[in-house]
Amino acid sequence: GRRKRARARHKPCELRELEVSVSELGLGYESDETVLFRYCSGTCEAAVRSYDLSLKSMRSRRKIRKEKIRARPCCRPLAYDDDVSFLDAYNRYYTVNELSAKECGCV
Amino acid sequence: MILANAFCIVLLVDEMLRSLAGPPPAPLDCVRATELCAADAGCSSRYRTLRQCLAGRDRNTLLANRECQLALGVLQESPLERCRCKRGMKKELQCLQIYWSIHLGLAEGEEFYEASPYEPVTSRLSDIFRLASIFSGMDPATTSKSNHCLDAAKACNLNDNCKRLRSGYISTCSRELSATEPCSRRKCHKALRQFFDRVPGEFTFRLLFCSCKDPACAERRRQTIVPSCSYEDKEKPNCLDLRGACRADHLCRSRLADFHTNCQATFQSLTNCPGDNFQACLGSYAGLIGFDITPNYVDASTTSITISPWCSCKGSGNMEEECEKFLRDFTENPCLRNAIQAFGNGTDVNLAPKIPNPATTVLPKVKSPVLLDDVNDSNTAYDTSVISTCTSLQEQGLKPNQSKEQSLCYSQAQLTTDVMPDQKTFTDPKAGSSRQRESRILLLIPILIPVLGL
Repeated sequence: GRRKRARARHKPCELRELEVSVSELGLGYESDETVLFRYCSGTCEAAVRSYDLSLKSMRSRRKIRKEKIRARPCCRPLAYDDDVSFLDAYNRYYTVNELSAKECGCV
Repeated sequence: MILANAFCIVLLVDEMLRSLAGPPPAPLDCVRATELCAADAGCSSRYRTLRQCLAGRDRNTLLANRECQLALGVLQESPLERCRCKRGMKKELQCLQIYWSIHLGLAEGEEFYEASPYEPVTSRLSDIFRLASIFSGMDPATTSKSNHCLDAAKACNLNDNCKRLRSGYISTCSRELSATEPCSRRKCHKALRQFFDRVPGEFTFRLLFCSCKDPACAERRRQTIVPSCSYEDKEKPNCLDLRGACRADHLCRSRLADFHTNCQATFQSLTNCPGDNFQACLGSYAGLIGFDITPNYVDASTTSITISPWCSCKGSGNMEEECEKFLRDFTENPCLRNAIQAFGNGTDVNLAPKIPNPATTVLPKVKSPVLLDDVNDSNTAYDTSVISTCTSLQEQGLKPNQSKEQSLCYSQAQLTTDVMPDQKTFTDPKAGSSRQRESRILLLIPILIPVLGL
């Protein structure tokens, strides 16, 4: 149970997909059409750069104190999928761009 | 690169097997026929003469000229006379231009129905049902309470190729240009043609001909082609004027002739369709979408299906009867109606069950993409701007210039999503055993390796 879940959480950054209805996207569209939502998920431990280590060190030495910083690479889309079009519940067509990830990476 | 090569071998094997064990040879395509004609001095000079005769002149002037008559007579015995074209083939427009350059001379002037310049469709609706059920993992014949048109949209959205081309036409057709111009009809039509030429029938037919029990579903079905842009207009032109405009364009004329050939109601069969072939009728109906003559459902009725192009018979004068006859082939056509209903119900005529046992159609290891003929030749002449199916291989350094290689190119997405056994290669019952096929492939590989320079 827990061990399996822990291992799943430590998978490296990669593309995953979900079948969701357009309404579930939370973009304010009302439509029962199903779309494929691809997203980036996973850890970026292997992608830690000198930048991240140094930034962490600056923070611990209190050289950086009030600013909001991120001293860890983050699993994010490097490229987005093509546009997605759908018909809504009021028979109007809409097109959404950059909805779904196409490629993931630690940035 | 290695992967691409390996895949090309698989396709080449498939091509070779098809030529060994395939059904009787299809009619020669007209582009190939002119190549053969060009190799023959007599044929090529007559063909050139005929083209000059036809350029900018009508049939009567043509027949008045002895030299033109002679040229026509000689060409009737050449490979050009019986040549045909394929929907969505490479150089489709060029092929059709060649076809009409000969057949306009042969035809008895302006006929009501013209013969289709396209190869006859041999596959059946049942092929599509079978493929669709492999895809969705469910039996299309099971009647569920769900909205079939919504299910069709889902199936399309989950396939990268279908989703991309559907979004392509929807965004083009619903993009407002200005207050006076709601959209670019020309671009919308082009995007629709791309969708219907390049996406396999198991997706496009499901969207276009889904069966409905409630108005919301029927309205979704009516909206499939974005009718506000592609179909409706401020005025309804006269249907014969519309037909005239269509006949002035080789591509539109061919699609209309194809529709008349495959959907013309006949009362000699139970289905009212020529050769009881529903798939051929639905395919030629879909082939009209994106032209002046684009047909659509006139309303969101669930009980009666009425189809019509955007035209009326007002102002027909003494041609009223002919106009009504033309319009009735859409609005009151029992063949078209039966074909749409049969598709919606998931039924097909099985007068001559030619479908092989599914167990023998599943090939281990060797896979071939679905609807090979329709997908691989999709660089139609009227449209060169879109992403070629070859791009992914081009990026890997393959030169797709040679026609042999081009026919072997597929995008990565099609490889992973559209891969399934090709029905056409299995029509020969004696060659139906997969083991037999496999052993022949093994025999071919040593021949192929030196050919490909591996």
